Amino acid sequence: MIFTIFKKELKDTLRDRRTLIMMLVIPVAIFPIILSLFVTVSESFSKEAAEKTIQIGVVGSEDNYIIKQLRLLPQELGKKNITVYKDTVELKAAIKIDSAQIGIFPSADFAMSMEIKKPAAVTVFFNATDLGMKERAEAYLGTIESIAKQERYIDLKINAEEIKPLEISYSNVASSKEMIGKLAGGFLPYIFIAFGFIGCMYPAIDLFTGEKERGTIETLLTTPVARWQILFGKMGVVVLSGLLAATFALLGLFLSIEVLDLVQDPEILEVIHGILSPKFILMLFGLLFPLTVFFAGMMIPIAVYAKSFKEAQSIITPMNIIVVLPAMVGFFPGIELNVVTACIPIVNIVLATKELIAGTLDAGLLGLSFAVMVSLAVLAVFISYKRFDKETNVVI
Amino acid sequence: MIEVNKLRKEFTLSKTQRKELNTTDRTALAVDDVSFVCEPGRIFSILGPNGAGKTTTMRMLSTIFKPTSGTIKIAGIDVSEHPQEARKKIGFLTGSTGLYARLTPNELIQYFADLYSIPKDVCLERREKLYTLLDMHEFQSKRIGKLSTGMKQKVSICRTMIHDPEVVVFDEPTSGLDVITAENIIQLIRDCKSEGKTVIFSSHIMSEVDLLCDDIAIIHKGKLLHNGTMNDFRANMQAPNLTAEFIRIVNATKLEKV
Repeated sequence: MIFTIFKKELKDTLRDRRTLIMMLVIPVAIFPIILSLFVTVSESFSKEAAEKTIQIGVVGSEDNYIIKQLRLLPQELGKKNITVYKDTVELKAAIKIDSAQIGIFPSADFAMSMEIKKPAAVTVFFNATDLGMKERAEAYLGTIESIAKQERYIDLKINAEEIKPLEISYSNVASSKEMIGKLAGGFLPYIFIAFGFIGCMYPAIDLFTGEKERGTIETLLTTPVARWQILFGKMGVVVLSGLLAATFALLGLFLSIEVLDLVQDPEILEVIHGILSPKFILMLFGLLFPLTVFFAGMMIPIAVYAKSFKEAQSIITPMNIIVVLPAMVGFFPGIELNVVTACIPIVNIVLATKELIAGTLDAGLLGLSFAVMVSLAVLAVFISYKRFDKETNVVI
Repeated sequence: MIEVNKLRKEFTLSKTQRKELNTTDRTALAVDDVSFVCEPGRIFSILGPNGAGKTTTMRMLSTIFKPTSGTIKIAGIDVSEHPQEARKKIGFLTGSTGLYARLTPNELIQYFADLYSIPKDVCLERREKLYTLLDMHEFQSKRIGKLSTGMKQKVSICRTMIHDPEVVVFDEPTSGLDVITAENIIQLIRDCKSEGKTVIFSSHIMSEVDLLCDDIAIIHKGKLLHNGTMNDFRANMQAPNLTAEFIRIVNATKLEKV
């Protein structure tokens, strides 16, 4: 009987345009759209920034060391025009009205300090809201400083090698797999959690509140099927919808990576392809199945209690934030799966998935996370059963 | 046969409901000590004004609600003890019954036949008979959401009868329906009677009651005010017609209270 109900509810759900959009269209389309937009916009911004001719204002006279060096800098560092200002008041005003993007003020004793080979002070003015200007100034002045250093080495007859006592090299022992897992691995469970929740939402409301609102539940309750069987049949569809939405979101992500060719590094690509292995997918679904049951179990009592689609939607939608916030823990490096975090629902799934991608997952902690989620899922199903069994909740 | 004995239904009121009803009582008595018997091959009508307890009684008969106390036996089966067995014997139809708009009549009927564990060949045979009777072949494969009210009502009838129930419960079945669609229901009720089924229906449309009923019960504020045959009711009427007599009985209880 559970399967009969499941079959019918699945057919009904798959014919609902609203559910299909939330479960299939949005999850599949969202990543290709976001990523291609992101790539196009960032590419055009960086191209525009690199090609932009900026105005540099310098306080002082034309024979100033900084101005002379600036004029000699190659175009590869960025196109520029130089304007001389008589004081910093005029210079700052020019930056404020954007007639200059970078302002350079060599101190009054700049020439003297250069002469006696002391550090010569330079103040750089810029508008922090004009992105990339500080970096441009650093590139120009960094190059000028290197030139000045070389000049001093020659003047002082110093071998640059001799005043560099240490040659330090840093070597990362973590594999790319581990790095991606620990640093970016939080993204994968976040997608799954966010879309799993959204995927469960519409079927939960439609199959419980909707059925009550449309008056079809009465006919179902008069058939020789136990209420728990009706509940389980419907719940199966809610859980499957959540899992499908999450799967389609992941599919969309992988498709966009492959189609848009965003990742060039072969090591990173190998890790991404590794995520698509049957073993990894099986383990991921093993973790996420109880989570989706938990979501369904959270939503069903509300959907059963609500008297209209609108009421159910207005209660369940804000819950999305409660679910997504702990899922964001995965974005913070340094938070690891341990006995405490393994007991926090959602956080445990996010951290366990990160460890799974990194290949550093501890079997004991995985078991604990799984046990916590299964317990919560069982509790949520029990609450759903109690709610669904209450006759005044089921019939308007 | 339906045997109802000292039936009682009490609902717990929520804070909001207490406010709406302007009461401090934590419970509301919807049905109070109601007893009656509906015989096979006869049509038993429950009459009552809005909020009298008709729908609650019907919902208890069809096992949607559990009685607070008292017993209901459907074809000899106690509904509280064996609800699933009792449901196999019941067909339930209301005026507000919804249908799954995204399914076709064929899919819907098959779904309910599966829920009643009816073998496929039996289902097809019964479905064909009902389709012919109700002239449903033309729209059997169209989505229910796209059907007219009359067509939908035919699908509802088909759904109610697909498991050939011994007892048929009609809760205000013609409420909100047009004359032609209502006529389909009236015909179905008559057919059920002629087939020897036990028929119980609640209504507040006197002409329907007058036309169809063999037995009548009047319920008001959860209490049974009258229970007997239609012929006895007509013979003892103090008012000139059925509607006036019904109003007289209901008002008499109000006066008694005053």
